[in-house]
Formats: sequence, C-alpha cells, structure tokens
Amino acid sequence: MATLHVLSNSPFTDSRLSSCLRVLGSEDAILLCGDATYALRADTAAAQSLNAKTGSLKVFVLDEDATARHIALPDWAQSVDYAGFVTLSVHYDKVNTWL
Amino acid sequence: MKFAIALHSPAHAPSSRRALLFAKAVLAQGHEIVRLFFYQDGVHSASGNVVSPQDESDTAAQWRDFVSTHKLDGVVCIAAALRRGVLNAEEAERYSRPAANLSAPWELSGLGQLHEAVQTADRLICFGGP
Repeated sequence: MATLHVLSNSPFTDSRLSSCLRVLGSEDAILLCGDATYALRADTAAAQSLNAKTGSLKVFVLDEDATARHIALPDWAQSVDYAGFVTLSVHYDKVNTWL
Repeated sequence: MKFAIALHSPAHAPSSRRALLFAKAVLAQGHEIVRLFFYQDGVHSASGNVVSPQDESDTAAQWRDFVSTHKLDGVVCIAAALRRGVLNAEEAERYSRPAANLSAPWELSGLGQLHEAVQTADRLICFGGP
C-alpha cells in the first residue's frame, strides 16, 4: 500500500526524517513542508540521505514553505501547491503525518 | 473522495494554517470533508477568546468562518478541551466555571467521533507540530 509521508519538523532538530527513510516502502513518497523543507539545503547530510534514495523514492515539497525559506530546489524534488497536496493525498493510499 | 482532517496544533502554529489551506483545496477540488476533528492543542482554535496580534492573520477566526460557511462538522475533543479551558456553556455550568468560550459552529464530543470519521472517510489527513 503506497503511503505519502508528510514531514514538517526540521531534520536538524530530531530524527523523524531518518526514521522515515528507514521504514519507507518501495512505492512510498515524501512530502516536505514547514521546517522539514530545510532537508533540501544543498550539501547537508539530510539532502544527501534523500538524494541517495531518489532512484526509487519520489520527493515532493510544499512550494510556499520552500519559497518562504529561500531554498533552491534540487532537480530530484518536485514542488507542489495545496491543490497538488490534495492530488497527492488522493493518489497515495494512505497519508502518514510524522507528528 | 471523502476526507477526514485531524488538527493537533493551535491556531498560532504554521501547521494550523497549512491544515486550513489544505481543507480549502480539498473542497475546491470537489471532494468532501466528512469531519474536522480538533484534538490536543488543536482545541485552542475553537476558543472564542483567541485574540491575534493585528499584524498577524487570525487563523482561529478563519477556521470558524470556514466551518460555518461550508456547514462542516467541526468536532472538538471534549477531554482535550476541558483540560485546556475550552468550555461550552453546558460544560461551564457542569464544572462551575465562570465562563464559556466555545459556541457554534463547534461541537464538543469524544474521541469516538475521530474513529467514526476514519471509518467513514477514504483518507485521514493529520496536521500538527510546527
């Protein structure tokens, strides 16, 4: 069952992202929003761990949250607006928010 | 498609605004929201006593308008609300408290309402944290 994992905590303050990457299913995807978008900052361990998975993993990012933090998106991350967020939540069987 | 949305954070948290914009996008795409469940610190969004600074958006008021306008089922967890001082007139009287700060369109009810919403909906989307 394909799951969309939604993260909003910064990867530099806790281990949610690394835990999420460890339990990801082969058809799962990640949506980064809020401070979790800092995971896309170039040359960070968080970005490298995501990049290492992008062969099979789709990484989405909430556009306005990345823009608000002036984060340049790597080519393996796809930005979505709120309409896109809804479309993703319909597309995936479950949405798991890492509260 | 039927959505249930659970909100765990107060109105001043960015995730509350995110939940509201998501909920608006859900309706804009023609989907249905079977229930909004305000849980844990999310119950503060339903307090009628929230006063936002003038230079900030009033997310609590925006939630109230959204729920009223679209006649949605806005359920506030009663146990979480009571311990945070979010009371309707009935509960204020029951516990002899001096004031009530929760009124329509909000409804106080139990966690069973979240469970039922999850059974009814095709998707449960939770918002919380920062």
